[in-house]
Amino acid sequence: MTEQDFEQEDERRAAVAEYVLGLLGPKAHAAIEARIAQKVDLQRERDFWVQRFAHLDNQVEPVTPPSHLFQNLEARLFGAEKRTSFWDSLVFWRSMAAGALAVAAVAVAFTALEPQPNSGQLATQLVAALQAEGSDVEFVALYDGTGAVRLTSLSGDAVPGSDYELWAIQGGQNPISMGVVPVNARTTVELSDAVRAGWGEGSVLAITLEPAGGAPNGVPTGPVVAQGAVTKI
Amino acid sequence: MQADARDIADLISRCALRDRAAFRALYDRTSAKLFGVILRILKDRAETEEAIQEVYVKIWQKADRYVSSNTSPISWLCAVARNHALDIIRARRPTNEDIDVALDIPDLSPNPERQTEAAEDSARIEYCLGTLDPDRADAVRGAYLDGFSYEELASRHSVPVNTMRTWLRRSLIKLRECLTT
Repeated sequence: MTEQDFEQEDERRAAVAEYVLGLLGPKAHAAIEARIAQKVDLQRERDFWVQRFAHLDNQVEPVTPPSHLFQNLEARLFGAEKRTSFWDSLVFWRSMAAGALAVAAVAVAFTALEPQPNSGQLATQLVAALQAEGSDVEFVALYDGTGAVRLTSLSGDAVPGSDYELWAIQGGQNPISMGVVPVNARTTVELSDAVRAGWGEGSVLAITLEPAGGAPNGVPTGPVVAQGAVTKI
Repeated sequence: MQADARDIADLISRCALRDRAAFRALYDRTSAKLFGVILRILKDRAETEEAIQEVYVKIWQKADRYVSSNTSPISWLCAVARNHALDIIRARRPTNEDIDVALDIPDLSPNPERQTEAAEDSARIEYCLGTLDPDRADAVRGAYLDGFSYEELASRHSVPVNTMRTWLRRSLIKLRECLTT
């Protein structure tokens, strides 16, 4: 590249930094935003600045917002009715596509956060506590290296017309159904080959509420009422 | 990732799953930080109280996008808050569209060293700001933390707007060199 090319490139990079800092007027801001949306190299440049400047966030002093704000926010998001029970969030689960997407998102998140399981751990004892804030459904899962998970229901009520379904989420894959599980009981669930292939510390078990008999297409459609990562005992 | 960051990432993921209890927990854990970020830019409590609700609506709606971003969970939340506050003040400012931006941008040449990811030394940006003239480092901080416009920066530093813009752009180019070496 010539000296002039370098200068031009510096100018362009500076323009992306100006965009990230919010220094451009509305038109220029919108125009460069549209441009960035089309071009991967500009996205990388934007991410570079966003990530570097983010380290300055810790210079901002936290300020506690007034306590009534959350109620307003909840009313705005979930409707004006009084705080609804967790089960009402079923409304959000009508769309199977959205549900599948979100569960896949969690799978990706956990893959990014948890160490990859390694096959040597297959014989070790593993445990997972399955719970979720706002839900009273709780299970404990134990794996003793024999190829099956022993699942104990600690709390939660049966829901008429619905079943609880157990899922394994591992290695960035879509959730794999491990079948419908009863509440108020103990069960043993054999690991299928598909589950066993990715099984180990860091695997996530999740329970969703599904139509009776389980999710019709092998893709979770209901809310996650309990989940937990598998860890070594 | 630290335990705290892992918890917050987990809460964001559960928001993507429409878990309202997780949303409440996320709000409890992070709202003071985001309130601080927005208040510093808007400098008005009543406006900040309105804005932070809009920000958490966005967070609830966009939670599934977090996983595809490459930032720490707190940085992602702060960016949502900061960008929202900036949108508010940008819409309010007298339009200053004489600033030209090179929009017809050919591909930028790849910079391999840039791929080193964000987990790296967070003191680096401070170190690199320290290599700039103190005035100019202040201007960069003012733009990021306070959301100052070129006009505001120019009047705070008592220089013409065009001078401020030239300063700042040069400073950003220097900053970038420092950050990538």
